[in-house]
Amino acid sequence: MGSVTVKNLIKQYDGVMALNNVNLEIQEGEFFALLGPSGCGKTTTMRCIAGFEKPTNGEIFIGKQKVNDIPANKRNCGMVFQSYALFPHLDVFQNVAYSLNIKELEKRGPGTKIKTYARMINKKLAKSPPEIEKKVMEILEYVELAPYRNRLTSELSGGQQQRVALARALAMEPAVLLMDEPLSNLDKKLRNSMRATIRKIQLDLGITTIFVTHDQEEAMSMADRVAVMKDGDVIQLGTPTELYSNPKSAFIADFVGSSNIFKGSVIGQDGERSIVQLDGFQIRSTSIPKNKEVEVVIRPENIEIALGEEHPGDDILEGKVLMSTYLGSIVRYDVEIGPYIVMVDTTYQSGKSVYPPGANVKLTVDPEKVFLL
Amino acid sequence: MKMLKRFDGHSLIKALIVLFFIVFLVVPLFSILIVSITGVPINVFGSLVDPETFKSTIDAFKNSSLEFYKSIASKSGYLSALMNSLELSLLVSVVVVVMCLPIAYGIARTKMPFKKTLTALCTIPLIVPTFIAANAFIVMFGRSGWVTYIYESLRGNGLLINPSSMIGIAMVQVFFFFPYALWPMVAAFKLSDITLEEGSQNLGAKNWFTFAFVTMPLALPGLISSALLIFTVSFSDFGTPIILAPKDLNLIVVEAYREIAGFFNWAGAAILTVIMVVVAAFFFCLQHLFTKGKSYGTVSGKPKKQKIIKNKWLTRTIAGYTCLVVLVLLLAMISVLLQSFATTWGVGVLPDGYTMANYQAVFSSSFENVTNSLILASGALVLSVVIATFVSYFVVRQNASKLDFMTTVPLVVPGIALGIALIQTFNTAPLQLTGTATILIIAYTIRRLPYMVRSTVGTMRSIKQDIEEAAVNLGASRLTAAITVVGPLMIPGIAAGSILVFITVIKETSVSILMAPAEWAPMSLAIFQNILRGEYYTAAAMSIILVVLVLVLQAIATKLSKGDA
Ligand SMILES: Nc1ncnc2c1ncn2[C@@H]1O[C@H](COP(=O)(O)OP(=O)(O)O)[C@@H](O)[C@H]1O
Ligand SMILES: [Mg+2]
Repeated sequence: MGSVTVKNLIKQYDGVMALNNVNLEIQEGEFFALLGPSGCGKTTTMRCIAGFEKPTNGEIFIGKQKVNDIPANKRNCGMVFQSYALFPHLDVFQNVAYSLNIKELEKRGPGTKIKTYARMINKKLAKSPPEIEKKVMEILEYVELAPYRNRLTSELSGGQQQRVALARALAMEPAVLLMDEPLSNLDKKLRNSMRATIRKIQLDLGITTIFVTHDQEEAMSMADRVAVMKDGDVIQLGTPTELYSNPKSAFIADFVGSSNIFKGSVIGQDGERSIVQLDGFQIRSTSIPKNKEVEVVIRPENIEIALGEEHPGDDILEGKVLMSTYLGSIVRYDVEIGPYIVMVDTTYQSGKSVYPPGANVKLTVDPEKVFLL
Repeated sequence: MKMLKRFDGHSLIKALIVLFFIVFLVVPLFSILIVSITGVPINVFGSLVDPETFKSTIDAFKNSSLEFYKSIASKSGYLSALMNSLELSLLVSVVVVVMCLPIAYGIARTKMPFKKTLTALCTIPLIVPTFIAANAFIVMFGRSGWVTYIYESLRGNGLLINPSSMIGIAMVQVFFFFPYALWPMVAAFKLSDITLEEGSQNLGAKNWFTFAFVTMPLALPGLISSALLIFTVSFSDFGTPIILAPKDLNLIVVEAYREIAGFFNWAGAAILTVIMVVVAAFFFCLQHLFTKGKSYGTVSGKPKKQKIIKNKWLTRTIAGYTCLVVLVLLLAMISVLLQSFATTWGVGVLPDGYTMANYQAVFSSSFENVTNSLILASGALVLSVVIATFVSYFVVRQNASKLDFMTTVPLVVPGIALGIALIQTFNTAPLQLTGTATILIIAYTIRRLPYMVRSTVGTMRSIKQDIEEAAVNLGASRLTAAITVVGPLMIPGIAAGSILVFITVIKETSVSILMAPAEWAPMSLAIFQNILRGEYYTAAAMSIILVVLVLVLQAIATKLSKGDA
């Protein structure tokens, strides 16, 4: 097991800057997600760590060891490929046994060597020794694939192939587990159950894991910490709650969950709170503005909504419901306030009626949940 | 450091392969071009190591001129040879396309009776070398042929068709080259846009109208491309004319062969070689231009369902017509088969008597030719497997487009031309290889490598790079990954390619006849010499052995490719 440190990593493909000074410090045993839109450099980062790409500049450490000059096959990073990259000519058992066979090749005499090669080419050619048999079966039991040991990988479902890929990587007892969008080829339902499976295995084994995804929900629900990437840069790194409650840019606010974002300017202080002038009303925020001109970020679920005559307290804004939409267990309102359309999410409670379009409503926001960026 | 070492290993192999092509393909073609303007043989490799030779090469250059090309115009033999060859190829390509039209349409678009059987029988020509086919036509249509016998007893005297004439040669080529056009034409008919045809029919057009004004124009690029392909194949064919061409019919391949094998006229042979390569390359490129722009747009789209025509009258007519074509092929092969068992076959429908003596003769006195063929083909196979595997690795993994191009060049060089170029280049020290089995194997390899490379490149492309990376990620070195992952996955492609190479080498005529030394004479050369000596019955027996051998190999190949699919 080991930590992973990436320092000033730069990768250039003739002229194209794929990575632009990436810095990461991943703790031992951590489940770390690299999140970002397609083309932002997630795969490239991962391939640099695995040793398939030579960094243009920068250093990579696994544990205490600098690995820049260590070839890919000696880095002991288990990788789960997006396409799974299973060996089509081998069955499930021999796929999982591959790394064990490689180790066998390194330590034994010529007779065993030939037998091992034979097994790796075609399982009918030679039998596996008992210790490999035992270990592979243990892993297969663990990922619930034992009954499929003799199947070719092409005869498995997507979810099963995914588990073979995972089992194959785990069999080598890697220092780090690298997963590149491992769930993107699965349907939605399977994806949710695989999330749980992967997270459970990771916690069980305590293995340092780097997980690449473009799906914020996946990253936020699984990872201990998340690095959000954009155009070859890590633009924010933190726990899911940190990212969610304290996004450092509108891009992140938008990417990690939908937000209301308005332009405004700070016109004064009210104790610890900044007063921000928007078009037609003011709003207060506890966050500290960097400039006078700011972007105000409010998450839809942090806004309370009530009918005109009901309740509220400070910072009440008046508006009119334009539309209401059911999003599963929540109701999303689009509320018109002056020139703005504000998204508001409330949990749907059966029995409670939904405000119809045209209804006059009042909105309240806790100043602690108004972010100024 | 490690990176550097790996880089070196790879580029060393790459350099060796490029060197192989330069030495055995580029330099020979280049030096034959020089010979065609200097008029005297030159020694390129000698000039590199020996100053004396270098000087004489320079002297030869000083005397070079385009005189020899001008002499083509004056020396009527060459010009008429070229014109005759072009005429023959034009005739054959047009007739083939016209003849194939109904068959291709029938296979692609109708539910004609016996479609599977007829389709299978249409591949007979692919296993029969043309010189055997030419000989079969003599057995049928020649002066004492059985068709002639029937014709005479019905109609009086004369020949139905004279096999030893332009028409005879064209007929053999038409019947034995048509499969090369048939499959592309079937594809063209399958691909043409069904929605347009339906549109036409919705507008109330009659079937024949739709065929003539919608289906045909859509399939036309495919048809033209097929015609151009046949043109090149016919132009380069040596087996048919060498057996059938009469003294007064000059054809460029035969003329070139005579210049070199009969008169050792280097200048003449060189000029003819250059002309052959230029013509073949021109038509090859023309054909590729034609197929390039037209990708038919259906490959990536949704599969469109084509209407299969079931009209009984139409399908039966097409099937009947296809039967007639196939019947000619079958009769030709049966004629050779009967001849191989004949004691003698004078004038008559059937041989005068039957015997195994011809086969006994082959097995007792010429069995060596069979083993020679097998050994030479195995040599070419091993060499092509090694080269093609590396080439496909470089082409697919490293985008080596120049190498890719170089391996397709042999496609445009007619066998006789390649043979003449190699003989000229390796005639003298320091690289004296002419008359050895080595240069013969190399010639076979170069000629068939494009097919092998196509097969292995296809397989290599289907092996995604991440599978190889997965192996490395799991601890395997590049070499171990190659042995345990890439290797096993390459086997189907290599196997398919090797059998193709093996078969085509056994069938190979031009290079064998031109280059094989007596002690390494393969079957094709032995058959050719038997025919020249008038030993028709042993020639027939050996022909049958050759065809059966090819047939068996083909069956193995089909079985292998099915097993993998
Ligand atoms: N082999 C390559 N050659 C050239 N450009 C590349 C290569 N691989 C990736 N890139 C470029 O680097 C950038 C990052 O790619 P990648 O790491 O694959 O993104 P992600 O995995 O986040 O979708 C992209 O702009 C991509 O086009
Ligand atoms: Mg990616």
